[in-house]
Amino acid sequence: MNPVAPRVLLPSAATKGEIFKVKSIINHQMETGLRHDAQGRVIPRKIIHKFVCRYGGAEVFSVDLHEAISANPFIEFYLRATESGRLEFIWEEDGGGVYRLEHQLAVA
Amino acid sequence: MGLSRRDVFRAGGAALASALFSPASARAQDEAVQLVERLTGRKPTVSDRLHLVMPAVFPTGYTVPMDLDIDSPMTEDDHVKRIRVFAPQNPLIEVASFNFVPQRSIARVSTRIRLAEPQYVLAVAEMSDGTLLMTKTFVDVATNGCI
Repeated sequence: MNPVAPRVLLPSAATKGEIFKVKSIINHQMETGLRHDAQGRVIPRKIIHKFVCRYGGAEVFSVDLHEAISANPFIEFYLRATESGRLEFIWEEDGGGVYRLEHQLAVA
Repeated sequence: MGLSRRDVFRAGGAALASALFSPASARAQDEAVQLVERLTGRKPTVSDRLHLVMPAVFPTGYTVPMDLDIDSPMTEDDHVKRIRVFAPQNPLIEVASFNFVPQRSIARVSTRIRLAEPQYVLAVAEMSDGTLLMTKTFVDVATNGCI
């Protein structure tokens, strides 16, 4: 099984007040919750059900994802550069998996 | 010049066509509004401030691109709190819910979604003043994107 691979793409520097784009994607082994194993038991659903972006410790954007989001969820969104600081990206998977990335942004 | 039988038929045909087609699209609009009201408990207003951009035709239902953009100043007084997306003909109709923060994020997002069959995709925006705005767009997919 491939390891879970979260990735983000965003600038490292911005001017104050600027709107910048964030691209995010996470590759993981999903289960739809609709399949059965050889014994006829349902294989439990395992999707990314929550994505959160925090900026300087405050939540600035989040998504609740359901089954109709394509495999390996890709989300592109936009933030306002307010201050230099740390952005955190958090993906929550069914079954308790949590994956994180961090990114430093310098605002001048 | 009197009315010919052909003229009568033509007029009747036009009336029939308008009875079949324009009310049909109005009916689709009404159904979408009713569905959103049932799902959210509130009556939405159809608004051109919402821009739900998806391909009219797409070969696969597994990864249909979706762009959402809402005209909003995103100030404390006037902002989009949340956008919910529904695919009413999917076995599970709720697609996603995007949550925004005034001054920090703007009401614009792109992702890829699954569609089980050709259908109207609905986007519903919950505004800071409590109103519910909605729009819909038709997407024709060639293959089922739900396993």
